Amino acid sequence: MELLGYLNYAVYMAIFIGIYAILALALNIQWGFTGLFNAGVAGFFAVGAYTSAILTSAAAEGRLGGYELPVIVGWLASMLAAGAIAWPIGKICLRFRSDYLAIATIGIAEIIRLVIKSEGWLTGGARGISKIPRPFSDFEYLYTQLSYLALVMIALFLVYYMIERQLKAPWGRMMRAIRDNEAAANAMGKNIEARRLQAFVFGSAIMGLGGAMLAHYYRSITPEAIDPMIATFLVWIMLILGGSGNNKGAILGVVVVWIIWSMSEFVTDSLPAEYAIKAKYLRIFIIGLLLQLVLRFRPEGILPETAKSSTSTSDQQTSNNNKGEAEPSPAQSA
Amino acid sequence: MGIYELINFYVIPGLVLGSIYALGAVGITLVFGILRFAHLAHGDLATFGAFTALAVVATTGVNPWIALPVAMVICAALAVGIDKVFYDYLSERPKIITVMASLGIALMLRSLIQVIWGVDTETYTRGIVRPDNYWGFRIRDRELYTLLAMFAITGALWLFLQKTKWGKAMRAMSDNPDLALLSGVDNRLTTMLTWAIVGALCAASGFFLGLNTELKSMMGWTMLLPMFAAAILGGVGRVEGAVLGGLVVGVAEELSVLVLPSEYKAAMAFAILIVILLVRPTGLLKGKLL
Amino acid sequence: MTSVLESAPPSQVAGNPVNKQLVLDMQDVRGGYGDADILHGVSMQVHAGELVAIIGPNGAGKSTAMKAIFGLLNVRGGQINVANTDIAGWKPNNIVKHGVCYVPQVNNIFRDMTILENLEMGAFLRKGDCSAAFDKVFQLFPDLKERRYAHAGNLSGGQRQMVAMGRALMLDPSLILLDEPTAGLSPKYMDQIFEITCNLREEGLAVLLVEQHAKQALAFADRGYVLASGHNRHEGTGAALLADQEVAEMFLGG
Repeated sequence: MELLGYLNYAVYMAIFIGIYAILALALNIQWGFTGLFNAGVAGFFAVGAYTSAILTSAAAEGRLGGYELPVIVGWLASMLAAGAIAWPIGKICLRFRSDYLAIATIGIAEIIRLVIKSEGWLTGGARGISKIPRPFSDFEYLYTQLSYLALVMIALFLVYYMIERQLKAPWGRMMRAIRDNEAAANAMGKNIEARRLQAFVFGSAIMGLGGAMLAHYYRSITPEAIDPMIATFLVWIMLILGGSGNNKGAILGVVVVWIIWSMSEFVTDSLPAEYAIKAKYLRIFIIGLLLQLVLRFRPEGILPETAKSSTSTSDQQTSNNNKGEAEPSPAQSA
Repeated sequence: MGIYELINFYVIPGLVLGSIYALGAVGITLVFGILRFAHLAHGDLATFGAFTALAVVATTGVNPWIALPVAMVICAALAVGIDKVFYDYLSERPKIITVMASLGIALMLRSLIQVIWGVDTETYTRGIVRPDNYWGFRIRDRELYTLLAMFAITGALWLFLQKTKWGKAMRAMSDNPDLALLSGVDNRLTTMLTWAIVGALCAASGFFLGLNTELKSMMGWTMLLPMFAAAILGGVGRVEGAVLGGLVVGVAEELSVLVLPSEYKAAMAFAILIVILLVRPTGLLKGKLL
Repeated sequence: MTSVLESAPPSQVAGNPVNKQLVLDMQDVRGGYGDADILHGVSMQVHAGELVAIIGPNGAGKSTAMKAIFGLLNVRGGQINVANTDIAGWKPNNIVKHGVCYVPQVNNIFRDMTILENLEMGAFLRKGDCSAAFDKVFQLFPDLKERRYAHAGNLSGGQRQMVAMGRALMLDPSLILLDEPTAGLSPKYMDQIFEITCNLREEGLAVLLVEQHAKQALAFADRGYVLASGHNRHEGTGAALLADQEVAEMFLGG
């Protein structure tokens, strides 16, 4: 059954790509459209994963649980929980330049990691949470996989559709205006902080959903399941490579990076054990290098944001706000 | 709990940890103030410095204290090189792009460390060092030296910034980069000088962390948050503020054990960061707010 | 450092540039920020010992013309000759070395540094002993000498402007560009700044000045240029421009 094996693998890949695409779209709301630097993607992801796992899994000794709520409730709750954590962070940090948000999100991701590891009564500690229910799990293996893929794709489509609709609405135009020219947006009297906060909370909530979907796919979640730094970074490189500010680009970036990432795993796994460990780190080095190359040579990504306004240049597309920049370009002319 | 116990078990270790943070925070505050971005690869550059010193010790068998200046020089060169190869090309773009690049550099540096030195914990010297007793205060030699070295290094930097021509140029660039350019300062040279100093400070910070605890490939990344908290607490751009902030964060982390489970030491730095951003974002010594 | 001062004794006859040495000769300069042109062919000349004012409505390109001289924007056409060398496209730090100093309208001091340090930064490119330059600046601005250890950020608006001008003068320039030096100042300080500007002219400097207070500026200036929409519109001696009916109606508020 060679063919079935390939098919299974393809479906497995597709599910991962679908989930990472949801994460990349979530980050696109924050970075691509609003210019917010969230360096704690994995934190919001983990909050979503654990929230849904606790609410939907069977009771287990030594930790909170046994609610056995429907999966859909778990998913909605995962969005709520991730959004609820994002709100105060955004409320405090979005007044400042995005550098501060980057630091704070690194911090919150670190604290979420600590809580997950230390609060065994809540998260199962190092053992994590297992027996997380997966929808359609009484089907035959391939059909279970395919059904889950369908669920992921529906969720991805919904997220995509919602974002695209919002972008075409006045909300989206305003977001772009804020990102590209804060001074002008300020002058228009828009309530920038509130809009940014909406984007940050909304994006984080979707990251929570992505986490929940992965937890239900794995059927278990442990603190070691995802290296926070690498998970965050993978989503970032996917978005930047694909084209931040462009949802299709973001999804394309996920496919490209995920394929590179998986292929390189094949290569490293086939090496002798003593090299395999080092090669694993080399993979991460190459991903980091890839980011540098993209930032330098193709900052707009594979699929650039389609210029909606004549003023936006490729630099402004990925810009936050320009105040306090060191360039000698005094913009206030006579 | 007696005063001696409080000092011996919390304040002294806190000051030592704080000195390590201070060395890093001074570098962060220089980059933040002069080059105007949050340098997220700072912690991993410190790790690189610590392991460079280890390599010097392991290959030549010299005393770790001799390895420190060597590591500082190598790390300074590395920081200048990273700027030249990666950050400099992004200087005309929004600063947040450089922040992102620095996150990538952090990952690259760490994986490089893991490839070269592996992921096991290492130490500079073996054996347990017992603290000496000074009138009831217990402090180890290396802890004393860490504190002294921190004050010596940051003091020398402070004098450099106040008294020398290029030190003043660095302050001028931090204050008003356009005007520095109009005054004939070559901002490119100032940037390179800043990176050299920052790299050396990173190596010192990593070295002292390794000397007082142990060397791990993740040691720098976990220091990143407290170092940023210290820099912002002290006031961005203020060297003396970063020293003060580092010591406060270090002592606060150690004291947090009295009220919080010890796993949450790192949360203290985050709490300080959030509180200072809420009540006084310019920091204790009124620094910049980007 | 190139200096054109030795061969250019200050002329007695203000307003008559013929017997003075040409310091700045700007010919048909076009350029702007990014790709958009703001200047569509601006020409002006400033001689040693001459005070020239640029006036015009908002958005005329007055400050932009000044920034073009100083290499702060893209110059796409024309020539900017200073002391017979075309400096168009040079970097600001080389232009400083060439004897041109620029005092921007805003952010023109180092706020966190003392007055003395501000002046030291002005002398950054100077080799050797600078005490003569300090003496000269403190002689022009006695207020600054008294407060030389004060942080520049704590000074009043007028004193800040003096620090800014003092910083620019530390290099003994042959040409100084002043971008609205009196903006936002009280009348007392405004008069003082105009007076100092006139003193600079008497010492043989070429002074180019952008001013919103057009009437006062033209009263002091030897000559003036009126810019509008990035073009030269009028030029003449200060008195002639003040007397000109059209200039008065359009640019001097009637």
